[in-house]
Amino acid sequence: MTLWFLRGLRRGVVTTHYPHRPESSAVLLPTPPSFRADALTPELADLLCWVCPSHALRRDGDAILFDVGACTACGRCQEVAPGAVRASGEFELAATNRAALIKRIPLLGGDS
Amino acid sequence: MTPGPVLLPPLGGPGGARSAKEEQAEEEQVARKLRDQIARQFGRSLHIRTLDTGSCAVCEQEIRLLAAPHYDLHRLGFFFTPAPRHADLLLATGPMIRAMDVAARKAYEAMPGPKLVVATGACALGGVQPADAFVHGTVSEILPVDVWIPGCPPSPLALLHGLLVAVGRLAEKVGALSFIAEPGLMEEPSSLGPSTEEGAG
Repeated sequence: MTLWFLRGLRRGVVTTHYPHRPESSAVLLPTPPSFRADALTPELADLLCWVCPSHALRRDGDAILFDVGACTACGRCQEVAPGAVRASGEFELAATNRAALIKRIPLLGGDS
Repeated sequence: MTPGPVLLPPLGGPGGARSAKEEQAEEEQVARKLRDQIARQFGRSLHIRTLDTGSCAVCEQEIRLLAAPHYDLHRLGFFFTPAPRHADLLLATGPMIRAMDVAARKAYEAMPGPKLVVATGACALGGVQPADAFVHGTVSEILPVDVWIPGCPPSPLALLHGLLVAVGRLAEKVGALSFIAEPGLMEEPSSLGPSTEEGAG
């Protein structure tokens, strides 16, 4: 208590900005997946869309539409395809535009 | 009588396209001005009213943690208020059950303007409950949402970031993310933690 009081007196401020420093506990957070496009075959894409419990993944021709807003970071896609999907580590995902949360993941050999 | 089609801008021609672009630029300018004004008014003091529209209460647990010493949102000028009449920002969680229609509208209308609505969690964004006879599925069906915070539940850090985005003190980052992993990085842990470049003022 005294230490904090003295520190506050010395620095003049007792509060910090956000983010003050990289959050060390952030590695423990479940985060939405990121996909390795060169490992996504159409069959694997169908499987990923099928295992997703929150309809965050949808097939759209030669791509997957990934709705980050609908993703609950449950990790089922990572369990199904550990070589093609991993946690992105991104958790500061607030958006002022809903459409910005919908990402297009091209499949193997596809472009866009 | 409604005005005839004569008053509508010409379709398809280059003139029409240009005017549409000009209109869009004008709208963007107005939106930017409004955003700046809101940031000026809310930047240092913002009162938050939470609205549970049928969530499982995990979002509420994370919101409650914002006031804990580790996150301490009061240092940033955010405060919780129990009354919508004192609130500047409505933090809505849950998939908006239909039984909440009137209550949600009343809470929104009771707030003094300018006001912000933040949809919090995957339910509120339409990820968990499809629309059916009991729920609307998304908060934006009933309320005009300004900021969307994904997550199931969003961590207190994500909520802090979302609130700072709502008042214009931090830039949103998700638009630049592709969620496509580089092949070489697959085996390594990703770089984690909020970046320190964007300091909130």
